[in-house]
Amino acid sequence: MARNFRIVPKKRGNRSTGSKWWGRVIEASLSAAALAVGCVGLVIVLNRVVVPEWRTNHQFVEHRCTVLDARLGEQKTEDGTLCRPEIRIQYTVDGQKYVVWTYSKSWQYSSNRAVEQAILERYPLGPEYVCWYDPADPSVAVLVRGYSLWFWLTLAMPASFILIGGGGLLHVVMTWGKSAERRAAQAQRGSPLDLLDAERAGAGFPCVPAPASVTNSPGTTLSYRLPVVAASGWKLFAAMVACLGWNGIVALFACVAISGFLEGRPDWVLTLCVIPFAGVGVAIIVYAFRYLLLASAVGPTLVEVSEQPLYPGKRCEAFVSQTGRMRVNSLDVLLVCDEDATFHQGTNTRRESLRVVEQAVYHRVEFDLRHGVPFEARFPVEIPAGTMHSFKSDHNEIRWKILVKGEIAGRPSFVRSFPVIVCPAANGSNGKVNGQAS
Amino acid sequence: MTRPDSDPSADNPFSTRYTRPGAIPFRFPPGSDADKLVEQLRCQGWRGAIVGPHGSGKSSLLAALIPAIRRAGKEVLLVELHDGQRRLPVDLEKGSGVFVCQADSAAQVGSQTKTPDPFSGVVIVDGYEQLSWWNRLRLRGVARRRRFGLLVTSHAPTSLPLLFRTATSLELAQAIVRSLLAGRPELVSPEQLAQRFELRQGDLRELLFDLYDLYEQRRH
Amino acid sequence: MNGPLVRIRFDGNGRVYRPGETLSGEYRIESVAPDEIKAVEVSVLWYTEGKGDEDLAVHSFWRVSAENGDRSDPPRPGRFSTVLPRSPLSYRGILVRIRWCVRVRVFLTRGREVMGELAFRLGDVPAARAAGNGHREAPSEKATLA
Repeated sequence: MARNFRIVPKKRGNRSTGSKWWGRVIEASLSAAALAVGCVGLVIVLNRVVVPEWRTNHQFVEHRCTVLDARLGEQKTEDGTLCRPEIRIQYTVDGQKYVVWTYSKSWQYSSNRAVEQAILERYPLGPEYVCWYDPADPSVAVLVRGYSLWFWLTLAMPASFILIGGGGLLHVVMTWGKSAERRAAQAQRGSPLDLLDAERAGAGFPCVPAPASVTNSPGTTLSYRLPVVAASGWKLFAAMVACLGWNGIVALFACVAISGFLEGRPDWVLTLCVIPFAGVGVAIIVYAFRYLLLASAVGPTLVEVSEQPLYPGKRCEAFVSQTGRMRVNSLDVLLVCDEDATFHQGTNTRRESLRVVEQAVYHRVEFDLRHGVPFEARFPVEIPAGTMHSFKSDHNEIRWKILVKGEIAGRPSFVRSFPVIVCPAANGSNGKVNGQAS
Repeated sequence: MTRPDSDPSADNPFSTRYTRPGAIPFRFPPGSDADKLVEQLRCQGWRGAIVGPHGSGKSSLLAALIPAIRRAGKEVLLVELHDGQRRLPVDLEKGSGVFVCQADSAAQVGSQTKTPDPFSGVVIVDGYEQLSWWNRLRLRGVARRRRFGLLVTSHAPTSLPLLFRTATSLELAQAIVRSLLAGRPELVSPEQLAQRFELRQGDLRELLFDLYDLYEQRRH
Repeated sequence: MNGPLVRIRFDGNGRVYRPGETLSGEYRIESVAPDEIKAVEVSVLWYTEGKGDEDLAVHSFWRVSAENGDRSDPPRPGRFSTVLPRSPLSYRGILVRIRWCVRVRVFLTRGREVMGELAFRLGDVPAARAAGNGHREAPSEKATLA
């Protein structure tokens, strides 16, 4: 069931049908937030780490010092004790004597005591050593210079936020407002034409959806795992929320009505009003229960194919895997093609769909699904010769799909839909050669 | 041999290209025409509402009125609201921001030419009742302040003066179906058409979609 | 005198083409004086027809305009030629049809226009039929407020 709940719709499974405008706004906001975080982080990192280390390596003045003492500085944390080398040096600048504990500019604590101890042993007491002091503040001095790993890590973090946020904003700006205008209106005004919509050109076929939309997930048994059109988890969640919310409110009023009867002061108006709402509540419970039954018994359905895109008259291999814990009366796999037409008329939008190809490719009856033991089947799928390829324009569509339909004992049946792309045959014969399927 | 698509019998006369608003000429009642209605609109201060139920020809009437409004010397900006749009897709408060097409056809929101002058023509909103009450109020206020005309379509009366009330009738449906079939064999008998008209409660749009399906079934 | 007319003819009188094939032909403008022609536009395009809104896309487009110094000589036919794309193929569905055609639009003086169109088929996809029990999803309609 966990797979059915996707917080962020996955590209290969959940098709978002929300507002494109709001999608853009949210995308721009997230990108701007990432960019802002990156910029603020960069300022902090520059101020606290980058600039100080750079100054150490380029502006500190070389000098001589004497080592007076050496110790392992310790810092107790929840994970244990961390340590670092601390060396006490003495040096004179412009007649002023300075005695300071130091080692390096970054001077980080570490859990590796042996390494830190080895550093201490390189500075026996007595001899003179080279050191570098800050001309702006001679009381600051170091024994070693260079750029630490920490320097690069702290720089990389805000840089990555800036790249992600800046890239996202750039993407939104460059694609905002790009819409599919009627090309004919441009042709009639004599403007240059954009003949092909690049978003729809699938493998060089104008108006055929890009195969990448269904081939971006490799399969484990066959080459391509097909995306499922809708995840049922959110429907179940919505049904449960509606069920609890509605029936909770109805129960409240029902309690008030019943208590009135028990106290000998019946409120008939309230009672009559509650009855129909209670009826609706029962219907919602039944509806939610059916979804729960289905979701608890029927696991994910996986469909993989050996080739994408497909071509009329050509055959490929398909693989279906179904998990769950149920008695299956029948499992059918169908290859279908639907025509979809959308019409904006006046103030209404009318959508209609009609199936023009329906072909059974697999059928199995009366078997049990056990928890942890998926049902699997491999079988050939052939796109009938002489059929139309996939097509998508602004208001009309021809969609090919593989449907997996299951009839389950004691539970509602389920249908899961997996889109496939069918391209025209290379020679336009649509799979027929001399009237025969090729 | 494969027949090319130029064969007229391959067309379905009830396809949307033949039935969409503007494709079927609006049939005015006797004594009325587009220019007279525009004159009435002018007398109403270029403010009016076309009211009628679903599929009664409001959008078709608009298509007939737009050229007449232009002949009367007014530019036209057409806004078609779909899918529960609750606000206008253009900000009419910004006078110079309104897009106006200089070509023969009415400008639709999103078309090409932006003029520096405030818009002083007629704004037509198809689907006025989809706007929220606040946006309707704002639109009327902006129209008054900016002094442009406002013509809307609605299923119910609005606070704008009524310009025309659209209605369908069986006779109208029969005339439209006859003109669409033009020369083709009769698809349904008058009695069957009357039954379907009543089933669709006078919604011409749905009736024509039904006839589309029927034509396809008969053809196959 | 007859009104202006545009006649289009394909080379070889062909009407059915395969993807990648060259579509060529000529057009003639009849009953029009040369000085009446302001511009001629020739388009090879496809459009949809059926129960949905029409979609349209132009594959090739040419414009001959007097403003650009190009003169159209009506008695002489104009030529066009283009290599046809791999998709979309012509399709005779039930809710959706896809049609290809050559359209010639002539812009005349005094705001007049005359148009001629000749359809052709790209590919040989047979007409579709409703499958099995004619499974159809009932039209979903987002209604306005009553």
